[in-house]
Amino acid sequence: MTGVITARDVTQCYDTDPVFEGVDLSVQSGEVVALIGPSGVGKTSLLRLLALFEPPSDGTITYDGVDVWAASESQRLTCRRRLGMVFQDQSLFDASVRRNVEYGVHVRKPWPERLRRNVADFFGSKNGTGPAVDALAVVELEDAIDRSADSLSGGEAQRIAFARALAYEPDVLILDEPTSDLDPRNTDLIEQAVLEASRRDIGIVMATHDMNQAKRIADRVGVLLDDGIIELGPTDQIFEHPRDDRTRQFIDGELIY
Amino acid sequence: MSIQRRTFLATLGGSVAASTAGCLGSFTDDTAEGAITGEELTLTTTTSTYDTGLLDEVNAPFQDRFGVTVDTVSQGTGAALQTARNGDSDVVMVHARSLEDEFISEGYGVNRRDLMFNDFVIVGSADDPAGIAGMEAATDALETIAETESMFISRGDNSGTHTKELGLWDAAGVEISSGGEWYLEAGQGMGEVLTQADQQGAYTLADRGTYLSMRSDIGLEILVEGPVEGGPEALMNPYGIVAVNPAVHENVSYDLAMAYIGFITGPVAQEIIEEHTVNGEQLFFPESLSENPNFDQYVPEGWRNEENDADE
Amino acid sequence: MMMWLHTLSALLPTFPFEWNYVRTIIEVSLYVSVTAVLISTLLSLPIALALGFTEFRGKRAMTAIITTGMGFPSVVVGLIVLFTVSNQGPLGSLNLVFTREAMILSQIVLAAPVITGVSLAAVSSIDQNVHDAAYVMGGTRLDVALVTIKEARYGIATAVLAGFGRAISEVGGVLIVGGNIAGPDGTSKTRTLTTAIQLEARQGQFELAMILGAILVVLVLVVNALVLRLGDDGDRGGVRGR
Ligand SMILES: Nc1ncnc2c1ncn2[C@@H]1O[C@H](COP(=O)(O)OP(=O)(O)OP(=O)(O)O)[C@@H](O)[C@H]1O
Ligand SMILES: [Mg+2]
Repeated sequence: MTGVITARDVTQCYDTDPVFEGVDLSVQSGEVVALIGPSGVGKTSLLRLLALFEPPSDGTITYDGVDVWAASESQRLTCRRRLGMVFQDQSLFDASVRRNVEYGVHVRKPWPERLRRNVADFFGSKNGTGPAVDALAVVELEDAIDRSADSLSGGEAQRIAFARALAYEPDVLILDEPTSDLDPRNTDLIEQAVLEASRRDIGIVMATHDMNQAKRIADRVGVLLDDGIIELGPTDQIFEHPRDDRTRQFIDGELIY
Repeated sequence: MSIQRRTFLATLGGSVAASTAGCLGSFTDDTAEGAITGEELTLTTTTSTYDTGLLDEVNAPFQDRFGVTVDTVSQGTGAALQTARNGDSDVVMVHARSLEDEFISEGYGVNRRDLMFNDFVIVGSADDPAGIAGMEAATDALETIAETESMFISRGDNSGTHTKELGLWDAAGVEISSGGEWYLEAGQGMGEVLTQADQQGAYTLADRGTYLSMRSDIGLEILVEGPVEGGPEALMNPYGIVAVNPAVHENVSYDLAMAYIGFITGPVAQEIIEEHTVNGEQLFFPESLSENPNFDQYVPEGWRNEENDADE
Repeated sequence: MMMWLHTLSALLPTFPFEWNYVRTIIEVSLYVSVTAVLISTLLSLPIALALGFTEFRGKRAMTAIITTGMGFPSVVVGLIVLFTVSNQGPLGSLNLVFTREAMILSQIVLAAPVITGVSLAAVSSIDQNVHDAAYVMGGTRLDVALVTIKEARYGIATAVLAGFGRAISEVGGVLIVGGNIAGPDGTSKTRTLTTAIQLEARQGQFELAMILGAILVVLVLVVNALVLRLGDDGDRGGVRGR
């Protein structure tokens, strides 16, 4: 099965020890894939490979069939500009919410326009662009547009980070535990936003520690354990009828790492 | 010389100064004007000629007459000659005949002229602990200072005054290198040394010009007069001016240097020198104009005698 | 901005000292130091970003060199620059001895390590997450660098100010390569506030020296205030602190 983004037989090593080996994973348009697994197993590492931060130690990453790391620099930039990512930790820029959310749209513009925009901003113009306002609406934070990023609460910041990734309308969203440390209300807001994104035909892959969250919003679930993805399938099947015994033990909390 | 300098200015001015034009506009305009009107002549000289304000008075009419800007760098005799040796100045005005002769003998300088003179004086506090006041010979005074181990502050900066002072110690038969704590080397200009000597109640050798210009601020008194006031010839302080040899440094502005030497040794400038006063006192005595020129001024001292010796 | 000097001169008919002299000295000081700091910043920022971002062999050695450069004595720098631009030196044909350009060169050598060193510290303290966010949102290498500069703007402003402070208050280097030249009408060519202070003090003109010293201090204060204000204005809506 191929998707918008596909990792094939991917191995990642830091120093010499592999974190995981021979991982296959693919994300289709409009589907939500959840990655579960114990801490330190390599979820973030795998997501970073999908987000094209660095080439895998072995294996290939393809976007719509293009082998990203075999492609030219400019082709790779085109691929990169089709994805968005929300990080595990706080990563907003020390600037206004508007600046943060518009950043992705901004860097896609040609330089003359960007410079004009910067000059206009310096003299205080505040004409919001459509996608930014729209993305903020998805996380219900339209009113925060002129606040500074560092005045936001943790939950608000996480929602802005989500809106920021959504604003330039990527084809794939990569979410690394987007609701860790959030209260139930904020968690719900983010989950609704994820579902909204998938309705917009965005393919989503998210790492989570929350089994119920995976059950609530994922179409498919991949279990990252030991040295790779030991099981990948529809959400119901993984939770109701896991084929691998380690999956059942992990879900039931019997595996202690 | 100035053409290359202008090119560099244009390059730098174009790329860098343009970005600062907002705040420095008026200034860069001035620069552009200067570059159009004139060429530049670099004069290295001693602190005494500059600090007394003489050069400003002489250079202004020169600039008016020739449209040439004189860049005066006051360094002290040793440094001024060294800068000229490197080809970084066009003309040198100093006061240490032995060093000037060395400079000429090595081929770096040509067309030396006697310019003016004043004299040195030995100064010290009014209570005069060594008792040298009124001594006829400078060497006697120095010998007494050394014997009584009274504090003496030397310029210690390879300047003309320093060179003169070392020559006097030599003549007095005092070994300065084995001198004790009473002999201090300041390594500074005349002004600083006079101030230090004043504060520490020490003796020092000073050129009359700088001493007179500072006399009102310090408590030092002249204890041994120089030849201007009837003191010994040994304290004579003659100033010479030399052009840098264009055959050695082809970048120097030799023609401008000669124009400057011509001007400063000519009647107009010599009169300015004669009339230049600080606090009502004449500081320098012109020496260039004479119906019977002293031929020794053009060549190293004793040069002709050496030739004659060789011939015999 | 230099207009205020002219305005001030009109307001000060009774200024006890040659106003043209003081004004041109201020202009030379500002021209030399501001130009040197601008060029240094253009040189230093890319170096600081490269050092802050990448890992390579010899990085520690390079950082050590920069740190050493931050404390390099200005007279030594002046001497080295003098030998370089002297007629006998490698840049002799440019005839730069005793020019403002030579002074700029000497101040660049002094200010660049300071600006690099302090910027490096500022850039290094920026969270990896911030680079990652810029990258993943489709930023090119240049975009990531720009974001880093923006995040580190207060640190970089401090670096530039530290460089400016070192440049404008330095006396040894500019004296040696500039020659402390002023024309007979008191128009400064290579005389800066610091070299003028030294000269006036040597001549016993302590009052004028003190006034020049006060101007120098005020100038540094004004430039500091301006740069910090500019940093705030360029970031509307961004309140500081996390
Ligand atoms: N840049 C790196 N250099 C060296 N080791 C790394 C690097 N990044 C991650 N690792 C190691 O790889 C392993 C997997 O890390 P990763 O962050 O992918 O785990 P994770 O599954 O996301 O954990 P968590 O659930 O705690 O976020 C860990 O042992 C980690 O220490
Ligand atoms: Mg993780």
